[in-house]
Amino acid sequence: MSADAVAAFEAGLDRIGATFAGTFESAEDEHQLRVANARVLGPQGELTLLLKQMGELPGDRRRDLGQRSNQLKNTIQTAFQGKLDALEALARQAELSGPGLDFSLPGRRVPSGRLHPLTRVKHDLMDVFASLGFDQADGPEVELHENNFDRLGFPPDHPATDMQDSFFLEQPAGVDPRKVLLRTHTSNMQVREMMRRKPPLAVVSPGAVYRRDDDVTHSPMFMQIEGFMVDEGVSFADLKGVLTSFVQRMFGADVPVRFRPSYFPFVEPGGEVDMGCVFCRRWQTGASECRVCKGSGWMEILGCGMIHPVVFERVGYDPERYTGFAFGLGVDRIAMLRYGIADVGLLYENDPRFLTQL
Amino acid sequence: MLASHQWLKELTGLELTAQQMADAFTSGGLEVEGLHEKGTHLDHVVVAEVRGQRPHPARENLKVVSVFDGTAVQEIVCGASNVPETGGKVLLAQLGAKLPNGIEIAERKLGGVSSCGMLCGETELDLGSDDSGLLILEPELNLVPGQLAVDALGLRDTVLEISVAPNRPDCLGHIGLARELCAVTGASFPGVPSVATPQVVPVQAWTQPESLFDLFVSSSNAPVGFAQSQVSVDVKDPERCPRYGAALVEGVTVGRSPFHTRYRLHVLGLRAISNVVDATNLILHGFGHPIHAFDFERLAESRVVVRRAVQGEKLRTLDGEERALTDDDLLICDGANPVALAGVMGGADSEIRNGTTRVLIECAVFEPRGIRRTSRRMGMHTDSSHRFERGVDRDAVPTVLRHAASTIASLSGGRCGATALDLDAASEPRPPIRLRRERMRALLGTEVPLNEASSILARLGCGVSSVDDGLSVKVPAARPDLTREVDLIEEVARIVGYDSIPTRVPHVASSTEGTPWLIRFVRKLRESAAAAGLNEAVNYAFVAPHELEAAQVSAEALRLANPMSEERSVLRTSLLPGLLADLQRAQRHQVDYFAQFEIARVFVPTVPGELPLERVTLGLMLAGAQPRWVGDARVVDVYDLKGALESIVGATCATGVETRTDPSLLVSAPYLHPGRSALVLVNEAIVGHLGELHPDVVSRHQIAGRPLYASIDVHALCDLAERVALPQATRLPRFPASVRDLAVVVPETQSAGEVSAALRDVGGALVEALTLFDIYRGDPVASGFKSLAFRVIYRDPEATLTDKVVEKAHAQIVQAAAERFGAKLRQ
Repeated sequence: MSADAVAAFEAGLDRIGATFAGTFESAEDEHQLRVANARVLGPQGELTLLLKQMGELPGDRRRDLGQRSNQLKNTIQTAFQGKLDALEALARQAELSGPGLDFSLPGRRVPSGRLHPLTRVKHDLMDVFASLGFDQADGPEVELHENNFDRLGFPPDHPATDMQDSFFLEQPAGVDPRKVLLRTHTSNMQVREMMRRKPPLAVVSPGAVYRRDDDVTHSPMFMQIEGFMVDEGVSFADLKGVLTSFVQRMFGADVPVRFRPSYFPFVEPGGEVDMGCVFCRRWQTGASECRVCKGSGWMEILGCGMIHPVVFERVGYDPERYTGFAFGLGVDRIAMLRYGIADVGLLYENDPRFLTQL
Repeated sequence: MLASHQWLKELTGLELTAQQMADAFTSGGLEVEGLHEKGTHLDHVVVAEVRGQRPHPARENLKVVSVFDGTAVQEIVCGASNVPETGGKVLLAQLGAKLPNGIEIAERKLGGVSSCGMLCGETELDLGSDDSGLLILEPELNLVPGQLAVDALGLRDTVLEISVAPNRPDCLGHIGLARELCAVTGASFPGVPSVATPQVVPVQAWTQPESLFDLFVSSSNAPVGFAQSQVSVDVKDPERCPRYGAALVEGVTVGRSPFHTRYRLHVLGLRAISNVVDATNLILHGFGHPIHAFDFERLAESRVVVRRAVQGEKLRTLDGEERALTDDDLLICDGANPVALAGVMGGADSEIRNGTTRVLIECAVFEPRGIRRTSRRMGMHTDSSHRFERGVDRDAVPTVLRHAASTIASLSGGRCGATALDLDAASEPRPPIRLRRERMRALLGTEVPLNEASSILARLGCGVSSVDDGLSVKVPAARPDLTREVDLIEEVARIVGYDSIPTRVPHVASSTEGTPWLIRFVRKLRESAAAAGLNEAVNYAFVAPHELEAAQVSAEALRLANPMSEERSVLRTSLLPGLLADLQRAQRHQVDYFAQFEIARVFVPTVPGELPLERVTLGLMLAGAQPRWVGDARVVDVYDLKGALESIVGATCATGVETRTDPSLLVSAPYLHPGRSALVLVNEAIVGHLGELHPDVVSRHQIAGRPLYASIDVHALCDLAERVALPQATRLPRFPASVRDLAVVVPETQSAGEVSAALRDVGGALVEALTLFDIYRGDPVASGFKSLAFRVIYRDPEATLTDKVVEKAHAQIVQAAAERFGAKLRQ
């Protein structure tokens, strides 16, 4: 009896040992492999069932047959794992060499809007001036004639005011019809900030200004930036230093800058600043033709000058003690140059097609 | 100001090209905006002498003219009626010429006669504006046939288009420009050649207003037979007319000026009229001092009276217009009537005409502000008013008068009187200005040696003497802009050149105050609004009154007194009209989806005559279907707008947004749909409102769909943002959460927010979050009801939750929903 049992058990082990490898090998996917594995090692598996007959074996054989069984089991398990790994590698290989994606399809955009080109230019300018140590200030767009002209030293009834054709507000009878106007420049902020504060001060103030002009390059409302600095000992050399730094930080460290005399009633000496034309870059390329600078190689960028002593007198500063400089520039022009906008009107039409283009 | 390169060369003696002159002017502060060459396209245009003429055999209106062109006699077919007699000189455009007006000359047959060129008139060659016939060259020019016209007539010139700032009236004439050019280039100005007669006699007119002055009294060549050469000048308003000079020229023959005079005027863009008028224009453009020529015979009583007009008085000016005057206008009158609007324009009745024989020249100084008021009131901007309102050189009156008289006399064959009259209300001499070396150094940041400064100022016509460590400077009357030390410093700086001032490493005083919170906040707000998906708009601050009405926003707006059009005549009281116009435009251009915001000031009137209130406002507008890549585009609704606001407020104020319906909106926001609008609250404070636009507003603007609009008071939001405590980081939970969903069916009218708040309340401390994630209507939910689906997240910060605890809490919520809202649980 026990000899038969031993023989049968050994035969079972031999059979299993001889066949499992073949069934594993022929498995084509993980499922088939697991089925094959279960046929051997599962609860109803051949080896599992065989091992249940262990008790019928004579005591002296149990030990070595037990060891053989375990060895076989380990071998099967290792083979299973090996085959499983091989199948996974195959599947991964298939996955990796499978069809790719159509990257020509558009992305799913998170809807986001854009800042207006004027705002973007303004922010950039403000960042540069902040890094140069200037505070920002803000003030009213409807202004008294006094702050827009008189305190800046514009003589009454003087043609200098023609340079800035004003919009006046309708006034009731008895009120000076020129008392209140839409500010023609942000220079009113020089007056307001100087009256509010004491030196030293360095301020830039951007905002909308208004003049009775309307053509391809002039809009009746446009954006300007006023800047000024007042302290003891501020000189024209400082003005040149600050404005040269400004132009070069904004447009490039190699851009040439030149100053030439000009007239604004509230500065003396007054000047205009030209920068090398950044379209033809004549200072590098030697180009002689350019649609933007018309071959001159220069672009006018801002007006500036030493603050006129009459302005100091009118805001209550001692002009013998304090000196300062002021400058003003148009944001629209810079935006037009930067984004290649031919008609200033586009900046104020808010066509979504335009706003999302830039 | 247009300036002739040739004339400037004559006056300065400088051999500079036009470009070199332009660079010099620009470097000194007179910007040259353009250079225009004259006398071009005249390559094959030569002087020709008429040798004979005969009628054209076939064409009645043509002639065949034989001219000698220096080498041969040519036959030219010509249609002009003024072909001169044999020996007359004309200009011939030879074959190959390409004229300024574009005509190319080739051999042509006209009615069977071949023509080897063209005889030209002024306009064809751009030499003048007379288009009545051929240009006939005066015999005095002594021209030789065959000479190239450009050389023979000296036609080459370049016009400099100079932008003269209002502070430099001295540069509104060639002589002033010449002085400036010399000063900038370091040359010495040769000055104006002097003219001896007439002798100008100064008189204090206002002390003896009725005196008669005999303008020929001491003349050795006093013409015999001129009975009356006496004139009386009476200046009634010396403040408005501080100096008045008069001179007389007799025996004038009014006619055409010689070619060179006419050509010079033409180059400067002026029309040659007659020798007398041309002479006044030459003086004006030479000295920059306007003068006026009256027909002396037409001055009643030989009187000149300078006085203010009487309110309502009338004057017909040279341009033929009848002008109604005010008592602020200054007049030149004769013994009976006004004859000129002083400093602005002459009267039609006393103008120089063909038969004029005696010319009274006026060279005066008028008070600039008065001229400006008149010129503005009348809308008359003339070469004369342009100069008077900027200020003419008072000291130059005798010189100008002498030159004017002699120029008119020489051009018209007249004789000037030996004396001229100069009524000068002697003004205080301008005190010298002190220029301190130290001050100049401080302002410019560099040292300019005093002797250099002194020489610069002297070149500019100043009298300069040294005083301790500085200069004492007497400024010429031609420079009304030089009134204080700083003006002289500018003169020195601009002549030495701004390039010679060093560029100092920026030395900026450290900021004492910093940028105000509102400005920094607005920047964050703009950036957040863009991040929330809206494009930024910038609209005009002025709108049309009808736009305010159509948008149903406050029509109590500030009106401009001088708008450019009714469409831009009032200041906006709301951002809505602008955004509506933008939306309209977008829809017109078939842009389906519209999402824009604007941050700008709106203007609220206060007390009349005072400044308005300017409120920085945020306006948001959404409309249309948001484009999607997959699936259908979805039309935006009010919750998109609310979501955008939540993002913006979350980003800028680190807090949430509450919206609350409120009847007050009917009044405060009548442009919103009454049932579909709400107040916007942040931290319990009202900051604005949002909603669908009122259908009336929408249909009135012919806009499609249901646009959404929100208006936020940026000041209010900014104040809140400043006060809101910064969010503080808390410890992240260490124990897992347990999530349960719950769908309840409630009546359609039940607000979801109320349910959500109540349930959250019931759930107690274990509820970490309770959020609405779906609303469902339709089968099997009965009509009139909706199903609200909530997701509840339970978490105990100190322990892992057991199912039992969660079930208990959840059951309480379900029960509360049933009890409070009659909600049925939806399975």
